[in-house]
Amino acid sequence: MKLEIDETIYCLEAVQKAAYRFIDRLTIMITKDDDKLVCEVNAVTGTEAQFDANVANFKRELLDQQLRKQIKDETEPARNLILAYAFSRTGLQG
Amino acid sequence: MSKFSTLDKYVSKQGQYELLPFRFESLDCDDVVLTNFVGEFVIFKRDKLDEVVQKRLLPTDETYSILRSRHFIKEASDTASIQLLGLKIRTKYSNIRNFTNLHLFVVSLRCDHSCQYCQVSRQSENKAAFDMTEETADRALKIVFRSPNPAIKIEFQGGEPLLNFDLIRYVVHKAKKINEVEKRDLQFVITTTLSLITDEILDFCKDHKIFLSSSLDGPEDLHNRNRPRPGKDSYTRFVEGLQKARDKLGYDSVSALMTTSPASLTKVRDIIDEYLKHDLDGIFLRHLSPYGFAIKTKSYDAYNVDRWLEFYREGLDYIVELNKQGVRFTEHFASLLLTKMFTSNDPGFVDLMNPSGAGVSAVVFNYDGDVYASDESRMLREMGDTTFKIGNLHANTYEEIFTSEVLLNALEDSFTMSAPMCTDCAFEPWCGAEPVFHHSIFGDVLGRKPESEFCKRIMGVVRHLLNKMQTDPEVKEIFMRWVNKC
Repeated sequence: MKLEIDETIYCLEAVQKAAYRFIDRLTIMITKDDDKLVCEVNAVTGTEAQFDANVANFKRELLDQQLRKQIKDETEPARNLILAYAFSRTGLQG
Repeated sequence: MSKFSTLDKYVSKQGQYELLPFRFESLDCDDVVLTNFVGEFVIFKRDKLDEVVQKRLLPTDETYSILRSRHFIKEASDTASIQLLGLKIRTKYSNIRNFTNLHLFVVSLRCDHSCQYCQVSRQSENKAAFDMTEETADRALKIVFRSPNPAIKIEFQGGEPLLNFDLIRYVVHKAKKINEVEKRDLQFVITTTLSLITDEILDFCKDHKIFLSSSLDGPEDLHNRNRPRPGKDSYTRFVEGLQKARDKLGYDSVSALMTTSPASLTKVRDIIDEYLKHDLDGIFLRHLSPYGFAIKTKSYDAYNVDRWLEFYREGLDYIVELNKQGVRFTEHFASLLLTKMFTSNDPGFVDLMNPSGAGVSAVVFNYDGDVYASDESRMLREMGDTTFKIGNLHANTYEEIFTSEVLLNALEDSFTMSAPMCTDCAFEPWCGAEPVFHHSIFGDVLGRKPESEFCKRIMGVVRHLLNKMQTDPEVKEIFMRWVNKC
């Protein structure tokens, strides 16, 4: 099965992370075609009967991963500040 | 005129907040759980997560103040939020600074039992081949007191450590002598089946405040089946030993651990009832580890993580029901995870630490002088895999052992904050790196998390704990009692 994903909506990082989470159920090869990411999806041996359900869950996971990316990007300065403060007395800063 | 402003004066304006770093995972019933850096969490419906991220959450919403107080969001005026989160991170990781607490002395591999799942023991009378010597123990003690930790725990392991009780006596006397100068908080534990306990040994334990950690696998037939010994009397010896030890040392000085063998799977309630019968105040529903005889005898392959989770859930649900009826009884694996979920304390359980607790919070001195990063590491060694041997007491210095490439690489390569999938997982603050398990299964310390039984086991237990708390407020009260013991 091939899934075409609009890269203006789902970034490569989100697609890669979603694919990784399904590594035990789906084999997913990601290639690029203009502004689309193309996922060639196959069932891992022994999981063929759940293939449709796994693909549906993979699509949901794409949404989650894109949202995670949005939160991560938006909170990057705060994250760095918190970690800098947490380790500020350790003498470990470079 | 009131001296105080009305509540509405303090309500924030809509959309005036910023997001702070957090992660989320989906749960049952369209719920999601959000966790921050230190494992504080909140659960609500998926729709609300989108509202939060899109800044549409109204200040009057019931979850707004919860999210703000637990540092998932901050308003421009909340200047302390970042500092507070930083302080909490520092508290959470403060144990790392203290370095090694638990020092395991494998004083003998010899054992009077031949348990089907045991990783290491030997049925041998050959003391010279499988017992630790005084010279090796002396070298181990030098390493023990190089640890900067103000609290030092020395645990005697086997085989059956009581088969080399003379060495235990030697180590206790010597450690206490060194401690007259060092002045650490020094504790001793003997891990024993109690089958060889005598009045003389108990007198020594009493004099030196030695704690006993024993084993009870369940009712007599199951226990004896799991733990064969000549005379087939392991259970009777345990019961008699427990009574004697309690009479001499006090109730709280003896605990018991169980291991889930394939024969245990349908008997979780019987196992728990057996613990209650002996007035034990909790149980650790442990899974089998993929090492040693558990692999050789195919015990490990006899059930998978899904079957263990079924066993665990049935056991936990039964324990919760007992608690609801007024019986104070704890499931210790849940308690470890809940401590990480509800407090800033790290219980220091090696499996649930990041960076890995192997070699950092615990270290193993084997009978032959080899030093291993964890108990599981020396079990791997008995299968011919010496990957996690970090040195030898007769050949290496403290510096060489604790800065060995083997140890540092394992810690760095398994670090969950940079591990694929873990880095985005909302359960990461409650989980651990477990490099030894992943090495034994995958051949590398990281492994593929979606295929990892460790990952499935932790996720399965955490989801069950969260769902139980979410559907029954009384369960949350019970769990809070487990975490905040008087």
